[in-house]
Amino acid sequence: MYLTWIYWAIVVFIIVLVVRSLYREKSLREQYVAAMVLIPLLLRAFFIK
Amino acid sequence: MFEKRNIASVYTATLMLLAAVVIAVVSGRSYMEMRTPGPDIDRLVPHAGFTRKQLGDYFEGISGTPADTPVFIQEGAEPGGTILILGGTHANEPAAATAAVLMLERAIVSRGRLIIVPYANMMGRTHTFPQDAHPQTFHFETTAGTIRTFRYGARTTNTVHEWPNPDIYIHPASGQTMAGVERSNLNRAHPGVADGGITERLAYAFMELIKKEQVDLAVDLHEASPEYPVVEAMVAHDRAMELAAMVAMELDFEGIPMRLEPSPKNLRGLSHREWGDNTDVLAILLETCNPSAGRFRGRTDEALILTGADKAYVKAFELGRLFVPYETGAKPMADRVARHVTTVKLLADNLEYVRDGKGVSIGGLPDYQELSDRGVGAFLSDFQQSE
Repeated sequence: MYLTWIYWAIVVFIIVLVVRSLYREKSLREQYVAAMVLIPLLLRAFFIK
Repeated sequence: MFEKRNIASVYTATLMLLAAVVIAVVSGRSYMEMRTPGPDIDRLVPHAGFTRKQLGDYFEGISGTPADTPVFIQEGAEPGGTILILGGTHANEPAAATAAVLMLERAIVSRGRLIIVPYANMMGRTHTFPQDAHPQTFHFETTAGTIRTFRYGARTTNTVHEWPNPDIYIHPASGQTMAGVERSNLNRAHPGVADGGITERLAYAFMELIKKEQVDLAVDLHEASPEYPVVEAMVAHDRAMELAAMVAMELDFEGIPMRLEPSPKNLRGLSHREWGDNTDVLAILLETCNPSAGRFRGRTDEALILTGADKAYVKAFELGRLFVPYETGAKPMADRVARHVTTVKLLADNLEYVRDGKGVSIGGLPDYQELSDRGVGAFLSDFQQSE
């Protein structure tokens, strides 16, 4: 169970980094890639999938 | 092409973020529907003779967890043996759970006891595998027009319930190493661990059920891909081999060949090996042919689940790559369910010959031809559907 929460914390941390990158990117394509990466991370952070 | 336009800004970032959130919400709702389906999905209408318990009644370690699952018991008027039927160990093997449901709704036991667990791993029914593109449900229509809907799940426990998996799974009872994902596979977790992961605890609960109910014959229903060698087969523990051989011969006489395979002694965690080694039960696993979970398959939709018809498998058959006959270009669900039901019926009929005084008589089940001709829906119960 500890492992689950450690992994959850990592996922949330990565979400923060990806959102930060999303706003720093100057390329529309890179923004799009960051947004797509967010989808599975959000589902995982909320224990949906 | 995006870079050339060079229009990225804080506004486009916000737009992208919103789009990602919307997609996550839409897909999230779809996944959540699988977790808490409506009352008509996976509904069970047990025959009047069955009494309902929960697997958690046998092992508290899974009570109130997503692993807990209904257990149905019917006792005949005459004393005899006890048979346990497991459907849905792997939720992406639909004919196995459907056969268990059909037996639950039709079986009339006159001698001995029949225990049915139609959805052995409930946690496999709440998701499908990423990139497998399986539909979330499939349907049958009963003769009265009721639509019976069942979930198509995955081979392993939902990662929401058991996460993360290790890189390598070490089977606790034997020390055998397996791929990490097998930690979430009920049929690699037997005989289970009382304080282990949730799938290991589920396996432990089945072992407790077998011991406490003094089960004589345990049958684990499965399906396999057409290209897998152990398909349309019975896998029997050493002590169950005599019974399985008798039934294999009878099935052959009836034109329903079922390969007979000995349970490998060095392949651990499987029901037929661990139940047989750790208890007195005769353990048998059945495999029918399921193209919808095969690797060669093409378009993956409800039609493939129900008909098993796939052009890629016709080609694979012509090339000699399959382990089952596929001349008709299909493996209908009705035939697969009929194969399970007929085999279970014959196992029950012959149990008396290998265990004195432990015979089990099950009536009310359709025979192979009847089920194959009329389809599964004709033998499922009707109920008032919710709006």
